[in-house]
Amino acid sequence: MNADLIVFDNVSRFYGDVLGVNNVNLSVPPGITSLVGPNGAGKTTLMNLMTGLIRPTRGNISVLGVRPNQPDELFRLVGYCTQFDTFPKGMTGFDFVKSFLLIHGFDDLDAERRAWESIDRVNMRDAANRRLAAYSKGMRQRMKLAQALSHSPRVLVLDEPLNGLDPMARAETIALFEALGAQGVHVIVSSHILHEVDRISDQVILLSQGYVVAEGAIESVRGEVKDHPIQIVLRCDNPRAVAARLFEDDNIVEVGIHKDRQGLLIRTLDVDAMYLLLNRIILEVGIEVESVAPADEDVNSVYQYLIGAEGATV
Amino acid sequence: MTDLSTLPWGLWIRQVGSVMRLEVRKSFLARRALWIYLLAGLPLLLTIGHSLIEASRTRPGCSIPEDSMVYAGIFQFFYLRLGIYFGCVGIFTNLFRSEMLEKTMHYYLLTPVRREVLLVGKYLAGLIVAATLFALSVALAFLTISAHFGQEYRDFILTGPGGWQLGWYVTVAVLASVGYGAVFLVCGLLYRNPMIPAAVIMVWEGINGFLPAILQKFSITFYLKSLSPVEVPVKGPLALIVVNVEPTPAWIAIPGLLLVSLAILVIAARRARRLEISYTE
Amino acid sequence: MAVYKKTYRSYEGRMTPEWSRFFVLTRYAWEDLRRRRFFTIFFLGTMTWPIICALGIYIRHNLSALELMGIRAASMVKIDSSFFLAFLGVQCMFAFFLNSFVGPGLVSPDLANNALPLYLSRPFSRTEYVLGRMSMLLILLSLMTWIPGEFLFGLQSYLEGWDWFKANVGLAWGLFAGSGVWIVFLALLSLSVSAWVKWKPVAGGLLFGLFFVAAGFGQAINAVLRTKWGNLINISNLVGSIWVSLFNKPLESGSGAVFFRIARGEEIPVWMCWVSLGLICLFCLWLLGRKIRGVEVSR
Repeated sequence: MNADLIVFDNVSRFYGDVLGVNNVNLSVPPGITSLVGPNGAGKTTLMNLMTGLIRPTRGNISVLGVRPNQPDELFRLVGYCTQFDTFPKGMTGFDFVKSFLLIHGFDDLDAERRAWESIDRVNMRDAANRRLAAYSKGMRQRMKLAQALSHSPRVLVLDEPLNGLDPMARAETIALFEALGAQGVHVIVSSHILHEVDRISDQVILLSQGYVVAEGAIESVRGEVKDHPIQIVLRCDNPRAVAARLFEDDNIVEVGIHKDRQGLLIRTLDVDAMYLLLNRIILEVGIEVESVAPADEDVNSVYQYLIGAEGATV
Repeated sequence: MTDLSTLPWGLWIRQVGSVMRLEVRKSFLARRALWIYLLAGLPLLLTIGHSLIEASRTRPGCSIPEDSMVYAGIFQFFYLRLGIYFGCVGIFTNLFRSEMLEKTMHYYLLTPVRREVLLVGKYLAGLIVAATLFALSVALAFLTISAHFGQEYRDFILTGPGGWQLGWYVTVAVLASVGYGAVFLVCGLLYRNPMIPAAVIMVWEGINGFLPAILQKFSITFYLKSLSPVEVPVKGPLALIVVNVEPTPAWIAIPGLLLVSLAILVIAARRARRLEISYTE
Repeated sequence: MAVYKKTYRSYEGRMTPEWSRFFVLTRYAWEDLRRRRFFTIFFLGTMTWPIICALGIYIRHNLSALELMGIRAASMVKIDSSFFLAFLGVQCMFAFFLNSFVGPGLVSPDLANNALPLYLSRPFSRTEYVLGRMSMLLILLSLMTWIPGEFLFGLQSYLEGWDWFKANVGLAWGLFAGSGVWIVFLALLSLSVSAWVKWKPVAGGLLFGLFFVAAGFGQAINAVLRTKWGNLINISNLVGSIWVSLFNKPLESGSGAVFFRIARGEEIPVWMCWVSLGLICLFCLWLLGRKIRGVEVSR
């Protein structure tokens, strides 16, 4: 068992006849890993499996070398902010965080210090002594996050952590994830906000109908999707000339001129060959290039290609 | 075989303590626990009322032995079969079941605490509340039922049989909490609707006196009846409910009850190890 | 922003009658219940006693059957008020158990899952909501109690003749009214407990607890205070007394229904039983009024 990875080895989980996840083989390195998929894809199931809240029907899981059926060791390493928006009754935010730190085994002073530290990290100090029942959705979400962070875990599992957060809180929370990821913490996030997933993730795991459809850095995942030609946006001073030359290449599938007449959208089957050709064209025709950038090397595009608009695997 | 001295007892004790504190605070020092206090307090209100009424009379309407019999009846019929029974149903079945219903169980399961330790902490929290409340109620009700006799009743308790009767009543109340607590804790773990097995157990305990001798032993009430210090003077079929034809001696009944409770808790611990989060009705 | 084309039209077609809309809840509650095997088996099981009683009535009037079994008609159970009281007692006890199983699941899931705002944000009042939930119990418990009871009365009248019917028509009223009292009381109690407690299993347990603990505490009051007024909180005693009066029988021990008998010397005036039950029902209505709301304030 690798002590730096979260490993799923041929893991399946069935809820009676209903498939949760099937034949999942994953190795999740440190950094920010996003779980992406439509509703019912198996994201929460995967998270519950790696935290031992449910047991796999088949296969093995290890989290930094620890099995999920060893909660006394596992949860020293793992913090999980679940999707459930429920809390023990009658508690304040501070009590909520501190009580579970006491159950961890921290002494009273240490638990109090850690509780305040994690509450400060999510900017909830002012409301910490109010009852949880009186919190707004965003406040409850942040307090859950504080509780998950409070024991300084090495693995942070977050099920839709940005739900209910206003834009400011969202930006702060994302910054927190990025800081944790940079420190070598495994941050596993599930989210539907694809442009934010794009921004923060080091790697993505795409799930659909209980199967892992793709995993890895988004650029390499995109490169593997051969069915859909790569889209490149080129901004230059003479797009027509470039377009005319590009059509000579068999790998170019489509070229469209932007309505402002200063840009081209190129769709190609071989992006490396396209770049070589583009270099030749630039030198031969003498074009001034403003920018060249991939147009569909993001989670949203990969999601559409692999999973589709209706959530079915394409 | 694991060396017991290498196990983290200190950590486990701290964790049990933390779970107990959280449980008592969350579940029992809250408005929703009022019903338990009411259930325990009702007989006490009754005996206080009786004592006040008798104290206001010029001539007593009863005697200490009569009150003693009445108290024995209340203890057998109300405390053991209703008050402590339903109190333990409510306290212990909810230790895990209410967490599942309120969707807060996962917070416990996401802490680095062994499931067995969690179970022990919750059980002890429930036991402390149940045993304290009902033992206190039993004791205070006993002390107040004949309080209007003044010195005579004090002598009855301090130098007469009242003292050991009181001791046994409190012991039986605590043992009932231990036994029923274990049973209903495991019901709360095993069943989505623990009220159904609770109803079945209630019927079983009720007909215990009419069952063959071998089947009678599979009952918490059977051992508790044997330990009750005063026999209730009832006649007819009702006598079989409150009196054991072949009572079990205390030196067997008490360890037996404790062992059975421990065995049930071991079953509960094994079940708790395999607990999964499934927040559906 | 200018709106050029208003194509949206709200529905202007036929609507169902307003007075019957609460039956939608009843219908869905019934569908939900029908799927549960335990309910089906239990409900069918409760028909055993009416069938046995019907057979008993039939055999009593069938001379050839009696001769075949070697029984004399005079030694068979007499079909009189005691017979129908016994029938009522058994069926109403079954009704209590069924109510403890069905009742808690009617309101508590809606409260636990915040569904009440969904109902009450429609043109649907709280009264209609309670009526809709309550009718489920009223119909179900009627099917177990006075309906088979009236069938038995009808069978006996048919076999015994018009004179017997005229002389005993009060029994039909006793069956209907006695069942009605019990059914309405049970329905209100279970709905209010279900609304107050929010968790189905706990509500079921509380129903049991209320019934038995109240009875036990009532007995404790009688024993400690050497009185009979503890029976005012003993539900089976209250209902048993009311039944005995509805069947025009004197309130003496042994004349009550099975499970609802009144102990000798502990009879309390019938009007006090009515008042006590009425107060409990009013308290249940108050509880329902407090809990069946579109919003909940968390403190």
